[in-house]
Amino acid sequence: MNKALRNPYTYLAFIVPTLVLYCLFFIYPVIVSFIYGFYQWDGISEKVFIGIDNFKRLIHDDVFLKSLGNNFYFMAFSLLVNIPLVFLIAIMVSKARRLRGFYKSAVFVPVVISTATVAILFGVLYNYESGMINQVLRMIGGESWAKEWLSDPHLAMLSILIANAWQNIGFFIVLCLAAILNIPKEIGEAAKIDGVNAWNETWKITLPLVRPVLFVMLLLTVSGTLKVLDIVQIMTNGGPFQSTEVMSTYALKIGFRSLELGYGSAIGVAMFILILIMTGILQRVSKSEEVQY
Amino acid sequence: MERILTNGKIAPSTLQRSSFLRNSQLPLHLSLWVYVIIVLFPLLWLLLSSFKTNREITVNTWALPSAFNFENYKAAWESAHIGQYAWNSLLVTVAACLLTIILSAATAFALSRMKYKTLSKRIYAFILMGLLVPPGALFIPLYRLVTDLHLYDTHQALILVYCTYALPITIFILHAFMQSVPSELEEAGIMDGLGAAGLFARVIIPVSMPALVTVFILAFIGNWNEYILSQLLVTTESLRTLPTGMATFNDGYRTNFASLSAAVIISIIPVLLVYMFLQRQIIDGMTAGSVKG
Repeated sequence: MNKALRNPYTYLAFIVPTLVLYCLFFIYPVIVSFIYGFYQWDGISEKVFIGIDNFKRLIHDDVFLKSLGNNFYFMAFSLLVNIPLVFLIAIMVSKARRLRGFYKSAVFVPVVISTATVAILFGVLYNYESGMINQVLRMIGGESWAKEWLSDPHLAMLSILIANAWQNIGFFIVLCLAAILNIPKEIGEAAKIDGVNAWNETWKITLPLVRPVLFVMLLLTVSGTLKVLDIVQIMTNGGPFQSTEVMSTYALKIGFRSLELGYGSAIGVAMFILILIMTGILQRVSKSEEVQY
Repeated sequence: MERILTNGKIAPSTLQRSSFLRNSQLPLHLSLWVYVIIVLFPLLWLLLSSFKTNREITVNTWALPSAFNFENYKAAWESAHIGQYAWNSLLVTVAACLLTIILSAATAFALSRMKYKTLSKRIYAFILMGLLVPPGALFIPLYRLVTDLHLYDTHQALILVYCTYALPITIFILHAFMQSVPSELEEAGIMDGLGAAGLFARVIIPVSMPALVTVFILAFIGNWNEYILSQLLVTTESLRTLPTGMATFNDGYRTNFASLSAAVIISIIPVLLVYMFLQRQIIDGMTAGSVKG
């Protein structure tokens, strides 16, 4: 019976087209990216090999360091504000005896809207004159509470983080909720019989049992915030005064506006390596402390 | 649970009060409603704004629109070419999704069911490497590659690139699913004289339908919302996809909130309609990749 599934022509016909596309549009750009990183090149004249100068330049480039810092600000905010909120709301939805399906669908709505649209939507909401956010603030605290959200260098990053949270939290809530509802019912019932209160049940029982999904959220947040691009580009494009610049917007500017293809690629490579290292470390850590029911 | 408590040692009166407090879900639902309103209110606000004039938005922010005038929608539809962009998006998205599904299903079948174990394992690991690299690191070489292939500023470029970037995750999900298909089904097919290709088309594809729907939705939403590649690889106005078209419109109409609101609403409505009908599939599809990953 093995014969039917041992047909080299079918095997190749099923695999080769995929591999061709994958190598052409994926593997080849990865390799080329690494190669470009060692050259100085404006895309038109001859490439000049400059060794690791591009990578040395990164360490002394204030804008790059600022961008890197902003990526970490993004990450810190998402980990410290978004994820606890996600966990809290997922717990609350899981406790609700009615309307659970409704809450789940409602929180997921922003997830299906494109990031470009979310960025535009928040651009409108943040407007100084008539944006919803300033109108709410004026109503609560008077004229002085209204702010120039996106054009104030101190507020622009926060404004993007809020928009990003609005869009992404729903996705994580649904992930987390699924994990919580997956916990065998007997565990919760046993806890109640033993007189465990809701607070302890959440911290000592639910939290440890949903660790795998918290870890997935952590991993997605770390890699997602290091490569964040769309929302920043449309809302502020790194401005004002590069206060919201992140690595990917900076790489694009260097590559396509300043036409420094070598240096732009080097930033891309640095970003790639950073993501690889950080997710690699996280995976190591998680493997060493797995929990079983 | 109540039965167990009544059988316990707590005095009936305290029991009644504490279980009333514990069972009252009012505070829980109130908090969840607050969250749901925060999430959905911006969309509602935008909907109301889309029927107002620019003056009304600034002056009567909280009032309902004085009349339901569709002027803004007409203006947005005509000047933003949303119809054209949506059509382009649909074309590119569907073509890329179908290509992804056909290639991934064939490859996942060959790798998971055909009898070339060692080779399959290597190829599978090679393809999964694609999950690690952020596309953001590859824009510069990708842009040059597409230009060299004379695909710059065409829909074909987007279709091929979108298809390729969806391949690793799609193959990952389908591979896992196809591996779990019982081999008895295959044996029956082989008895009927089917070859590998016949088994794929007549046996594996039909039983894999649920997984195929999931990956189709995952790829569809990803492509439909994709912004940055479409912005880099397509410049002709009439070829733009919805997210890029919207972002361009945003740049031109930053102060015309009435039209902008209408444009955003037009671009959200189809997505929300589809979401209303396919909620469960969409939520499952979008979360499938990360839970298994």
